[in-house]
Amino acid sequence: MDNQKKVLLEVKDLKTYFFTEEGVVKAVDGVGFKVNQGETLGIVGESGCGKSVTAFSIMRLLDYPGKTVGGEIIFKEKDILKKSEAEMREIRGKEMAMIFQEPMTALNPVLTIGFQVSEALRMHYNINKKEAIKKAVKLLAKVGIPAPEQRVNEYPHQLSGGMRQRAMIAMALSCDPILLIADEPTTALDVTIQAQILELMKSLLKDFNGSLIMITHDLGVIAEIADRIAVMYAGKIVEYADKRTIFYNPSHPYTFGLLTSIPRLDIEMKRLNVIPGIVPNPLHFPSGCKFNTRCTFTTEKCKEKEPALIELGEGHLVRCWHADKVIEEARKVFKRSME
Amino acid sequence: MANKILEVKNLVKYFPIKKGVLKRIVGWVKAVDDISFEIYEGETVGLVGESGCGKTTTALTILRLEEPTKGQVLFEGRDILKNKKGEMRKERKNMQIIFQDPYSSLNPRMKIKDIIAEGIITHNIISGRKKYKRVGELLELVGILPEYMDRFPHEFSGGQRQRIGIARALALEPKIIMCDEAVSALDVSIRSQIINLLKDLQVKFNLTYLFVAHDLSVIKYISDRIVVMYLGKIVEIAEKHELFNNTMHPYTRALISAVPVPNPDYQKERIILQGDVPSPVDPPKGCRFHPRCAKAKKICSEIEPELVEVKKGHFVACHPTDK
Amino acid sequence: MNRILKKLFSNATSLVGIILLIFFIIIAIFAPAITPPLSDDPYQVPRMSWDVDPQPPGSPMSDNIREVYEFMEKDVKWEKAICGTAEGGYDIFYGLIWGTRTAFKIGIITVLISVIIGLILGSISAYFGGWIDEILMRITDIFLSFPFLVAAMVLTTVLGRGLDKIMIALISFGWMGYARLIRGSILYTKEETYVMAAKALGVNDAKIIWKHLLPNTIFPVMVQGSMNIGSMVITAAALSFLGVGAPVGYADWGQMVSFARNWIIGSPGHAGQYWYAVFYPGIFIVLFVLSWNLIGDTLRDILDPRLRGEL
Repeated sequence: MDNQKKVLLEVKDLKTYFFTEEGVVKAVDGVGFKVNQGETLGIVGESGCGKSVTAFSIMRLLDYPGKTVGGEIIFKEKDILKKSEAEMREIRGKEMAMIFQEPMTALNPVLTIGFQVSEALRMHYNINKKEAIKKAVKLLAKVGIPAPEQRVNEYPHQLSGGMRQRAMIAMALSCDPILLIADEPTTALDVTIQAQILELMKSLLKDFNGSLIMITHDLGVIAEIADRIAVMYAGKIVEYADKRTIFYNPSHPYTFGLLTSIPRLDIEMKRLNVIPGIVPNPLHFPSGCKFNTRCTFTTEKCKEKEPALIELGEGHLVRCWHADKVIEEARKVFKRSME
Repeated sequence: MANKILEVKNLVKYFPIKKGVLKRIVGWVKAVDDISFEIYEGETVGLVGESGCGKTTTALTILRLEEPTKGQVLFEGRDILKNKKGEMRKERKNMQIIFQDPYSSLNPRMKIKDIIAEGIITHNIISGRKKYKRVGELLELVGILPEYMDRFPHEFSGGQRQRIGIARALALEPKIIMCDEAVSALDVSIRSQIINLLKDLQVKFNLTYLFVAHDLSVIKYISDRIVVMYLGKIVEIAEKHELFNNTMHPYTRALISAVPVPNPDYQKERIILQGDVPSPVDPPKGCRFHPRCAKAKKICSEIEPELVEVKKGHFVACHPTDK
Repeated sequence: MNRILKKLFSNATSLVGIILLIFFIIIAIFAPAITPPLSDDPYQVPRMSWDVDPQPPGSPMSDNIREVYEFMEKDVKWEKAICGTAEGGYDIFYGLIWGTRTAFKIGIITVLISVIIGLILGSISAYFGGWIDEILMRITDIFLSFPFLVAAMVLTTVLGRGLDKIMIALISFGWMGYARLIRGSILYTKEETYVMAAKALGVNDAKIIWKHLLPNTIFPVMVQGSMNIGSMVITAAALSFLGVGAPVGYADWGQMVSFARNWIIGSPGHAGQYWYAVFYPGIFIVLFVLSWNLIGDTLRDILDPRLRGEL
């Protein structure tokens, strides 16, 4: 039981900026969260909120003009931002692995599945090619790919979207990493295939008792798989809590807005709530709270001062001056619809 | 009892697969394979299915943006597949479409006022300078300031571009609009804006929608009746609540159970389909769904089930199993 | 548009190109003032002397020639051949100045007409596809299989000498590149959703090509065209150098160089004696082509990322 509570990854005040011709884009601006051993953290947000950049920052896979300029990423009690590239290469694939959104572009079209799945194995362990392919076949079977001995010699284009995503999961899990980061892994898949992949991920996680950071914009997927949830907007975390709190007791206007503006199968909605306006241009963020231009709870204070993350309850952080009003409104709405 | 505004009868659309130097036809992609359904005036019919099911091809074929291989499309009783080019062009005034991708559906080198006015000009609805007044009215209707009409598409966000696309469709005062994944490419927080807009416009102008989407949650919210497609065929048609409360086809059941719900306590049927969606090039014999169906029997692999009205307004294509 | 102009002026290479181009434009406009013509046809280069061999820069006009001009009641405005004379006593300087006009004529007219032909054929081919596309592309292939210079030479030999004949030859064998270019662009663009949207509105084919396809595909053609203006001039010069093309004594840079053909090496003991006969027309050709290339290059760089449809 104590093992479960052990903190595997702690991100503190992470800042990743992009230094472009048109100005500095503060893609991730002071993000912090914890992932415990065996736990799944869901990072929810729309395009441009900084969730993918956070993932790349953790894996230290950022490309010019992006650069992590501040904060700490403490993985297994060591700050990996201080590690050299050579040291990171040891960690990547072996202890920390990533699954991407587009299986076709994440897989090299001119290399066989077997080659790619076994690549990490050959890199981190001293095994020969034959051994590696044997292991790859086992991995493909584990992720539910039928006839893996055949598939191992096939190329990505010969597999369907769902199969490719499974192959990517096999690749990521090949060296038994303790932390898996999945960036919109099912967004490009059909919904029945998405269900298959989510089931697979849940069962694999149980098996290897690893941790998962699941990044997505789909609140339904998050509800299924996450234990704790961080909601991101404009490069910052606006709400951070366990799953039930986020869904039943949201306290940030953005979280609340998202929950009430998406159509859902379980509740009959008379009319969808609307979050007015559009996601702001990162080069021209509004002053004060970055959500204030679209927020129905906004006041003068919101336009002047950006709120800091405050602790509302045990493990429940929110970045809003009017969280109490949101909680009240949410209670009203959810009570009505649950009846 | 509302009028039937559109009737699709035995619609077929095959795409040829050509190979080799002489471009010989080696096979067919059976995108839409003999489907029939009706749409009544003022309603929203949701057309739902996964990739390869033929839903987008259906919408495009109805509008003859893809030429159908066989079948009939009756608009207000007239078979529009028989129209010649000139007649078809006139008919287009009644049937419009909103596309999925807000970024490629607007000509990047045209001002939005010209994009919207193009339909007005083509069909001579208003002549002279008055047409730009109308463009201004249309922009207001969809929630864009008319002062922006001299701007170019790249100056607008995805959601705004989609609104411009809606204004373009409305300019022709159509009776029916195909919405081809109209909100799928938009950010989650923008989708509800556009969905609400479409609903409001429907009430205001008594529009009829064929709403094509893969997201069952959106389909459930916006549709009156729902048509479920799989691999080029219709497997179930029902009024919305009937479809969810009294689901009959195994695929529909699997589809509903696969949709993630933003509710941590939501209990749902756990139906996980095995295997992949097969390719429409060589669909399985008999019932196309049978290789993935948990309830498949011998007859399912031999004979294709007909779409039968099992209850009033509820159609299913499935061999009777023990219910 | 403004952004393109701004970028053109801020880039060093394109700035050089623009300055050169302006230099040539000024020469072309003010040609009658710089070197007033001495015969009815201003493109007829006047002779400074009856010498067969080229005369060095600064050589004065010979007296017998002057008498001829005075007899013809022509006002001789200048005394010396500033850049020397070419074989047969033709004033190089005059040839350079009026040759600028010729260069512009050749470059712009041939490219313009080639582009128009290419646009029409290429867009019809791409839009309608099927057997129309097959036939037009085979015709294009046939034309492409002729080596350009040889074909142009043969054609000018058949048609005879004259500037218009050169242009006909250049156009006849120059349109294919544009046809191919626009065809490729249109094949891609016609699959864009906004084209389907126009069809859904009921817009007819001609309007779709004119309003939707061409404006979005024409930029690469324009860039290619501007770069080709220079190469048209070079080819015309090559034709003149080889003895076909412009009539004798025509104010054309290529002609000037061709006059130096026999004198390039110089006389025994004095290598490069007649450098000016090659150098002056040669440098004009080089700079003219360079200016178009620099501008075209920058245009391409500006337009490339924007080819995705944004200005």
